[in-house]
Amino acid sequence: MNEPFAERDAERMRALLRETGERIAPGSDPGVLVDGVLAGATDSFFAVDSPIGRVYVAAGPDGVRFLAPASSPEEFVRRYRERFGRLVSPAAEDRVESLEREVAAALAGARAEVPLDLAGTTPFRRRVLEVVKDIPRGEVRPYVWVAREAGSPGASRAVGNVMATNPVPLLVPCHRVVRNDGRTGSYAFGADEKVRLLKLEGVSPEEIEDSPYVATPTTGVVCHATCRNARRIRPQNRRTFRSVKEATEAGFRPCKVCRPVAAA
Amino acid sequence: MQLERLDPLAERLAEGDPVAPRNLVERHYAELYRYAFALLREERGAEDAVQDAFERAFSALGRYPEERLRNMRLRPWLYRITLNVARNRLRRKREVPVEEVPAVLGSDEGREGVMDVLAALGRLPERQRVAVTLRYLQDLPYAEISGITGWPEGTVKTLVHRGLARLRSMMIGDSKGGDPA
Repeated sequence: MNEPFAERDAERMRALLRETGERIAPGSDPGVLVDGVLAGATDSFFAVDSPIGRVYVAAGPDGVRFLAPASSPEEFVRRYRERFGRLVSPAAEDRVESLEREVAAALAGARAEVPLDLAGTTPFRRRVLEVVKDIPRGEVRPYVWVAREAGSPGASRAVGNVMATNPVPLLVPCHRVVRNDGRTGSYAFGADEKVRLLKLEGVSPEEIEDSPYVATPTTGVVCHATCRNARRIRPQNRRTFRSVKEATEAGFRPCKVCRPVAAA
Repeated sequence: MQLERLDPLAERLAEGDPVAPRNLVERHYAELYRYAFALLREERGAEDAVQDAFERAFSALGRYPEERLRNMRLRPWLYRITLNVARNRLRRKREVPVEEVPAVLGSDEGREGVMDVLAALGRLPERQRVAVTLRYLQDLPYAEISGITGWPEGTVKTLVHRGLARLRSMMIGDSKGGDPA
């Protein structure tokens, strides 16, 4: 056995292996590959202006999952990770461009269908959020109504909890859900902020507080005070009630559009 | 080894630096691709394997508490995940005939040389293949390989040595080949 030859062969083999390593490189453009990995492995986020100031919005492939104000992108990323167990990275432009536009429009008060991904939550929570999502701008509904609409009459208090932890405030307008007695109640970003937001949307909190329900003898119908039907009632026909019960006892029947809860 | 300095990128991940995930992919994509390609010997498969590996990695990183993130040794961990993914793919592929490999290559002579080397590597026992690949194709020091595989450095050296001897006899045709004692 000739040692120098063996060592020379080994050296040739090592060189061949190293050369092989050097020759293997990804075939596609590195930028595209990196974007592809991030698109598949992380959710994305962007910042956008809203009525409560600058907020961050995170979305997965199925839609928006989280909206929150934060003191820095880092804080938002950490909160998202803690809450959803996922990493987020800044949105690549083409990936969420249209979503970003829709969110900005919706937050500016336009009618825009923003896809929401509420999958990481319980069925009850999701039903509640779906109901609240459809409360129109300029109107409010009490907790008891949301509970009934979500198929869980009597779950008023639980609705309050869902509102307090709403992952997508503003997009699911939990500020439009008020106490059963007509007072605006608390809000994740402060009770005053809730009042300010509602006024911005054309709701008069004082008016609702006195009389959450309004009826008219012309139709014999009782509505939530902010229902679009209630807004058409002429001042001279306007009857106000503290509860639907009072109104029904006075001979009015619940509006079919805003469906006030008879027991409330 | 255990007292190695923290990976600054792990720290940035823990602190929520928004570009940290991108930087992690950028830092390791090429080397993990090379590793996956060496094991799988096809472009598409290697790309998919790396994508898979990062998806698994990020899904885990999202669930880890901050302290654990901060102390992660990301590189060896990513290598381990990539090996697992590639191994699963090989296992699945075994049901299908493997001979479609050279078709992807084109006629470039250098690439054929690459495929010959990788084919020879593919005939080594797995531990030798992994050790030789990490040592020479990935050009990693023994300490790092030991961190990736969990094998003691001495074992890695032996595996590299034996693997190299076998390759030499396969490729250069040393008739005295086989495993040196």
